[in-house]
Amino acid sequence: MATLATFFRRPEVLTAPGTSIAEERAERDARVAADQFRLRALPNESVYLFSKKIDNSRLVREADPRARRECWSMIGGACLLIALLTCTLVPTVASTLAGYKLEALKQEQKRLVDERRILDLEEARLLSPSRLEELARGQRLISPAPGQVVHLDPNGDGSVAMNLEHR
Amino acid sequence: MEPRARHEADRRLTWLAGGILLWGLAILFRLLDIQVLHHADYARLARQQQLRSIDIPAPRGTIFDRNHQPMAMSVPMDSVYVNPRRLPDLKIASEILASILSLDREELYGRMRWAAENRRGFLWVKRKITREEAERLRSLRLDWIEFQTESQRHYPAGSTAAHILGSVDHGERGNWGLEMSLDNLLRGRPGTARLLTDVKRRGIDSHLATEPRAGTPITLTIDERIQFTAERELDRAVRAHGAKTGSVVVMNPRNGEILAMASYPSYDPNKPLRKGEDPSSRINQAVSVPFEPGSVFKVVTLSAALETTNLRPDTIINCGNGAIKLFGRTIHEAKHGYGSIPMSLVLAKSSNIGAIQIGLRVGQEHLYEYVRRFGFGASTGIPLPYESTGTVRKLSRWGKTSLPSVAMGHEISTTTLQLAQACSAVANGGLLVRPKLILERGGRPEPTVAPHRILAPETAILMRRMMEGVVIHPSGTGRRARLEGYSSAGKTGSAQIFDYAARHYTHSYNASFMGFAPVPNPAIVVVVTVNGTHGTAGFGGPVAAPVFKTVAQEALRVLDVPKDLPDEVPPEEGGPSGTEANDVAIAELADPAAVEEEIMPQAPSTAGVPQADGPRVPNFRGMSVRAVIAEASEKGLPVLLDGSGIARIQAPLPGSILQQGEHIRVQFAR
Repeated sequence: MATLATFFRRPEVLTAPGTSIAEERAERDARVAADQFRLRALPNESVYLFSKKIDNSRLVREADPRARRECWSMIGGACLLIALLTCTLVPTVASTLAGYKLEALKQEQKRLVDERRILDLEEARLLSPSRLEELARGQRLISPAPGQVVHLDPNGDGSVAMNLEHR
Repeated sequence: MEPRARHEADRRLTWLAGGILLWGLAILFRLLDIQVLHHADYARLARQQQLRSIDIPAPRGTIFDRNHQPMAMSVPMDSVYVNPRRLPDLKIASEILASILSLDREELYGRMRWAAENRRGFLWVKRKITREEAERLRSLRLDWIEFQTESQRHYPAGSTAAHILGSVDHGERGNWGLEMSLDNLLRGRPGTARLLTDVKRRGIDSHLATEPRAGTPITLTIDERIQFTAERELDRAVRAHGAKTGSVVVMNPRNGEILAMASYPSYDPNKPLRKGEDPSSRINQAVSVPFEPGSVFKVVTLSAALETTNLRPDTIINCGNGAIKLFGRTIHEAKHGYGSIPMSLVLAKSSNIGAIQIGLRVGQEHLYEYVRRFGFGASTGIPLPYESTGTVRKLSRWGKTSLPSVAMGHEISTTTLQLAQACSAVANGGLLVRPKLILERGGRPEPTVAPHRILAPETAILMRRMMEGVVIHPSGTGRRARLEGYSSAGKTGSAQIFDYAARHYTHSYNASFMGFAPVPNPAIVVVVTVNGTHGTAGFGGPVAAPVFKTVAQEALRVLDVPKDLPDEVPPEEGGPSGTEANDVAIAELADPAAVEEEIMPQAPSTAGVPQADGPRVPNFRGMSVRAVIAEASEKGLPVLLDGSGIARIQAPLPGSILQQGEHIRVQFAR
């Protein structure tokens, strides 16, 4: 069993048997004087407790059917009460939790609707004829005139016909 | 237990029970106080803490083109605000916010300090920030930075269809175009919900307090691809000829659906109108700016002549060799005059004298009636703001020069859209259709106004033939409007612009072309107007007809209209030649009190009837359907039959030359 003295590893506080209180105090004051930074002694620091083993294995509890019945009745009653309380509270709790979930889902839905609108807008912007025209012009693509012969890419790195604007 | 000890125990138990009872009673009274006596107060406090009112956004309605491509749509964006009185340190706060939101730190600090000193509880830091900025700010997890969702209008195609769509102000209220005229429909009404929250402000349950009403989506009749082509070609033409403004309208003549409406100069509706910026670029030239149409108006004059006189396309008109005596004055045509030419050539060569002669035969009452019938001087009903009705003076206010002037397209002003409406009537067989810009509102088809007849079908067919002559005749003024693979018809116009300050006509022109294609079954009507061109190269033939050609060619391709002519490589066109080069304004009839006169393309006097290079049209009149089919198939002639019984009317007339791509239309009746 641990006491303060063993816990703080301060065996020196233990005084030799037969030492008087005055001597003990004088010795402690001397130690304190020697070490200004040492912590002062804790209350009951010098008390040491030792465990004593007692064998109770031969003791047998006397059977008490009435007490046991009462005990089980108590446990059963408590369980029933808890079950009743749970049944009463579960719908409320479930409703509250569902409310949290519902509101979170509503927020999520609103966020997704907003995001979809933004993406629709982005798509419309990307597909606008002016942008496509600009891209086509950047690649020097022009509409072929009726009857115009369109030659394959002279570089031979593709199989597509390129109607390129003259540089 | 000893009695004394038992008594002591009982006494202690009694005290304990009494204490517990008092404690219970105290709790009971407190509960009564909280839950019964002050229930309302505490319930109100709880609501204040737990209930939050949240906005349910109702985005402004999206505007789609006819292929459901978004042309204008709103997306939610975050705006940042702070409560200056809650800020831990103004300097640090302004540094953090300014660095992330790319703001001027000193300016932001100044605003914050001013707001804090004036005990303001709300200060916008930056509105409608980007997603990246919002994410960076949120990642800081600073509770004094607060966000509010706002809506931002975007036009993904930039300036394409800007004059139709219009734009919105900072509060998303329409200030131009459809955004303005349909603002009530497009604008949504945001709703609110009450959200029950826990201590961490997480939502537990919400209830709708006010139902949101989303803006109604609108689907236009516009085709974005045709619109883009029209704008691109108009832009090129205006720049190439040093003009000031211009407009193009592409319309389906059957149902009046506007497929494209371009206006120059244009603008980007994504950029709000800045203070002091000239708003003239936002004016829709096709709808809001009337002009003297010039020779294109001869279509109206000749239509009236076909209906009210015995003039026919082959009736010879005396063009007086380029001079006519009128009201004691001799009026000369441009450089070269014509002798006696068929009425069809009066249109093809755009003879002014010829048009005056025809106008005189029609008479001013009939001409006025047909001008009104074609819809001039009245609103077309298109749902765009600031539509001009043009100017058609009352008959009682017509002067002595009004009849010849109006016959040539002067003393009258029209918009490009009105010309498209009039041209559609000729193209669709004589029915005046209302221009239609909205295809669907909120997914429901927009009803079409029933057209009404203004020309007899045979008149319309004859007009189509004559207008085709303008394009296919070798000396026609609309040669440049010939299409590849499609037959086309139209009329050029080159009207001098009247200078109201100097009270005389200038040498700037309104160059225009109105036409349709393919001729047998027109799918599109295209009207092109370029205002402020100069010189002979600035007439309708060289300026507007090429725009018609490119736009019509692309529109027919996009709409997948079957070709009615073999693809041919058109001959190379040089500069202005022949008829167009002789275009000179004649201003003898000019009356500064009333807008007037026009100039005409001239052709060499040697120009004759169309070349006889095709088969002659047989006479089907009086024949049965079977007999017509048999004779036509025997001779390899394309015929279009209508009705049943005996052939009563046919076009082209018997004996005339059938041009390439032309069909013989035969009307049967019992």
